[in-house]
Amino acid sequence: MSGLTRNCVARVIIQQLFNGLALGMAYALIAVGYSLVFGILRLINFSHGSIYAFSAHMALLFIGMQFGVIPAIAMSIVLTGLLGVIIDKTALEPLRKKNSIPMAALITTIGMSNIIQNLLMIFFNTERKPFPAFFDFGMIKLGNLQINSTQVVMCIVSLALLILLTLIINKTKLGLSMRATEQNAKAASLMGINTNFIISFTFFMGGASAAIAGALISGYYQIVYPGMGFMVGLKAFAAAVLGGIGVLYGSVVGGLVVGVSESFAATFIGSSYRDSIAFIILILVLILRPTGLFGKKDIKKV
Amino acid sequence: MDKNKSKRNNFIFILESFIEKFKIPIIVICAAVLLGIPFMGFSQYLMRIIIMIGIYSMLALGLNLLTGYTGQVSLGHAGFYAIGAYTSALLSLKLGFSFFPAAIGGVLAASICGLLLGLPTLRLKGTYLSIVTLGFGEIVKMVLTNWDKVTNGTLGLKNIPRPVIFGIKLTLANNGLYYMMLALVAIVTVVCVLIIRSKIGRALISIKEDEFAATMMGIKTTKYKILAFVISAAITGLAGAFYSTVIGFIEPNSFTFDVSTLIISVVILGGMGTIRGMFLGALILIAFPEAFRFLMDYRFVVYGLVLVFMMRFRPQGILGWKSQMPYKLPKAVRQQLEKLKTEGVKAQ
Amino acid sequence: MKRVLTVALALALSVSVLAGCASKPSTTSPATSSAPSAGVIKIAVAGPMTGDNAEYGKGFVNAAKMMADQWNANGGVLGKKIEIVQFDDKNSGEEASSIAQKIISDKDIIGVIGHFASGVCMAAAPTYTENKVIEISPSASHPDYSGIGEYIFRNNTVIDVEAAAALDIAIKDLGKKNIGIISIKTDWGTKTAAIVKDLIAKQASSGAKVVAHEEVMEGSDDYSPAITKLNAAGSDVVICVGMYNLIAPVAKQYKQVNPKIELVGFSNAYSQQLLDLGGKAVEGVRFPVIFFSGSTDPKIKGYVDEYNKRYGSIPSALTSQAYDSTGMLLEAIKAAGSTDRKKVRDALAAIKYDGVTGMTVFNEKRDVQKTFVKVIIKDGKFEAMK
Repeated sequence: MSGLTRNCVARVIIQQLFNGLALGMAYALIAVGYSLVFGILRLINFSHGSIYAFSAHMALLFIGMQFGVIPAIAMSIVLTGLLGVIIDKTALEPLRKKNSIPMAALITTIGMSNIIQNLLMIFFNTERKPFPAFFDFGMIKLGNLQINSTQVVMCIVSLALLILLTLIINKTKLGLSMRATEQNAKAASLMGINTNFIISFTFFMGGASAAIAGALISGYYQIVYPGMGFMVGLKAFAAAVLGGIGVLYGSVVGGLVVGVSESFAATFIGSSYRDSIAFIILILVLILRPTGLFGKKDIKKV
Repeated sequence: MDKNKSKRNNFIFILESFIEKFKIPIIVICAAVLLGIPFMGFSQYLMRIIIMIGIYSMLALGLNLLTGYTGQVSLGHAGFYAIGAYTSALLSLKLGFSFFPAAIGGVLAASICGLLLGLPTLRLKGTYLSIVTLGFGEIVKMVLTNWDKVTNGTLGLKNIPRPVIFGIKLTLANNGLYYMMLALVAIVTVVCVLIIRSKIGRALISIKEDEFAATMMGIKTTKYKILAFVISAAITGLAGAFYSTVIGFIEPNSFTFDVSTLIISVVILGGMGTIRGMFLGALILIAFPEAFRFLMDYRFVVYGLVLVFMMRFRPQGILGWKSQMPYKLPKAVRQQLEKLKTEGVKAQ
Repeated sequence: MKRVLTVALALALSVSVLAGCASKPSTTSPATSSAPSAGVIKIAVAGPMTGDNAEYGKGFVNAAKMMADQWNANGGVLGKKIEIVQFDDKNSGEEASSIAQKIISDKDIIGVIGHFASGVCMAAAPTYTENKVIEISPSASHPDYSGIGEYIFRNNTVIDVEAAAALDIAIKDLGKKNIGIISIKTDWGTKTAAIVKDLIAKQASSGAKVVAHEEVMEGSDDYSPAITKLNAAGSDVVICVGMYNLIAPVAKQYKQVNPKIELVGFSNAYSQQLLDLGGKAVEGVRFPVIFFSGSTDPKIKGYVDEYNKRYGSIPSALTSQAYDSTGMLLEAIKAAGSTDRKKVRDALAAIKYDGVTGMTVFNEKRDVQKTFVKVIIKDGKFEAMK
């Protein structure tokens, strides 16, 4: 940066901040899905990254069928939500019924991830496919700064979605049942809550949020391919844990921290280091605060 | 009593007592078959797969100690594998070490990292620990990719020398590598069995069963968890060192998250917390993609299905049965009991 | 009972896996393979058939099959039918060296078309050299590749030559001096970027200089931090060392920040996907290629039309290089008059082959010299630059 004026450096930093915020919002959107499922089942859903890739391909497929962009995305949201439910019903619910060890569920989701991602490769091929930029309004100029309108749209939609999810969880009866199931599934079912339905509903929301993330991020980068969920999924997952998995606003904070630090790592250290900066921060935070920034302590009963 | 009897008539019991009865002939036959494999006229390609099965058996034995016996799930064992492979390869390429000292270097480096990674276990439990190990694996990969001066970055390390014993270069063609694999697997297996049957092993198992209760019984759980990490990392590092010399070429992409999940899958498929399961798990999961290459695109789908179905219908793993044989007390405990008994008789 | 069944099933499964594994190579075990089967000549195509770069591997197979079918329609070679066998190396060096072992154990296989990435080719090449199997890579451009052995060929220019051609576009045709470089962190990308930098340093007298160099991970999709840096450093032209999956997103993301930026790529970016993926943003992107499908040459036109008829797409440069590689190998077998490895190798080394990627002659390093066509993207189409 030696050759640049101070003003220019400041501009680069602010620009990178915006790059990082947009990226962070993308991570936050995916992280929410991890958080929802983890909150209720204490399970890392490793198939979430593939579910996200699945949603983007479904949206692309329906757009290709001339349904129009918005209806196509709506259909993909429903379909992806259903995929989440199917995964739970076919593979995870039987494990719960048998009281399997937690690792069994973890491995099942890894297996599911393999299946989904490779089926996508078979049906859609591996190459990168273009996705329409359906919310591009050009650049917004703020004095010396240029802000990409797609970045702004992403931030707004993500925030709206997260507020909506928080409202569902905190204000509706369904949300109350979810929280009850989260605290103690057995007690909740004794109280007349259909916990299996609640878990399925959670998976639906997880899938749907992944689909919304899929549509937004695909629209932002305009690229869709079967492997798209892998790295993004891992980093979003790191973001979820960083913020405190199971806490929705934690996912947002975690996502933003990861996104911005990645952007700055690319600026000051080099782009090829950015992929693991998320994990370095994650480990540091976990060693200092074992449940993440906003995570609730599990009270161990003896 | 009746219940006990029906238990004794089941298949596992028959199998186990059969093995117990003909222990020596079975060991001899197995050893003969294993030693004789090179004379069956397999192609080099097949021999290489068999060696890979051996390497994955070692990896699984290493992870099993941590995950199967101590109950700490690691999603980053590819990291230790890479550290072992890179350290030993670099020692032999840059400093001219021969294979054995280089491999010891790899084992040491992996153990030190195991110690460093084990330290957070002081504070972290369960899922969170797994997450840290996952991050560890990714960070190792990043370091290997970016530390160009030492690791040669994405170009990887080429022409890693083969081990030499008594002036003979071990290769695939003269089956030296195969016998070396057998020796290493045998050593690792014996070490694992000895550890598990020792006081350490019992402490590890108690941590898995109930960490809280183990603490109450006066077991220093932190110390044992870190110890499990270190031993597990050391075994994985050894497998890595051997891998680097077998393949002769390593790059950061040989040690991805997929490798970590593959090792876990071997452990789970074979049967967590068993030694026997590791060999079968490695055999199936390594041979599967090779045997089913004709499935081409679908083979990873089938691989995923295998994991899902295993978890659904036999989560304890294929060979993961509970022993039906009466529990044999360890020798030291038995002696103490005898002593107590005789003393008790005297007191009476 | 259930337990008996599961264990029995498990054992059966493992035995069958072993058997499946053992049975195939055993058909090619030394006893049977020393006498190659009479009626068929096999050519292996090895490349990524699954995974992120599968489209390249599949392109290789398509091209080789098309060439083999054309020969088979005329009675094959040496009176034998040609069979293409494909192998998936997943673009990993480890996998490739395992596949090389598999290929050399099949004595019917005369040669290998493939391995895609330079590093992967170089991991497999020693095995081929030891066992005298010819390897022609349609894509390897790493300078050290063909030096590995006598049986290692390539039908692609060495990267220095191509880098010089790309620089020529940036400095002479576009007349730019402030050059930014964005490269993918792979063996090929790192090497190429270093060579480009070297070449620029040699031309310092012309005023050209590297203002910034950013290395990015392949396939990370978000390049905005790197672009922000390149732009702040005042790049007028950016040389993109990467495949289409780097250039398309970089073009899109860069042109949002600076619509006037000029981009120069390399020949492996030349594929239909670049247009599909890049849309309007890749307008004006230039790069040098050996093969240009829009050529008016009737031979190339006929080839492109037939490929399009068979597979429903336009062949990329690398696919066409694989097509010619297969043709050269078959021609060499024909010229040698036998399937003796040494004779075929010598015939190949001496070949003069006029294919769709131009006249091919191997030099003493088994590399090829080709003339470059400069291509620009205009109105959503590739066009030869004037």
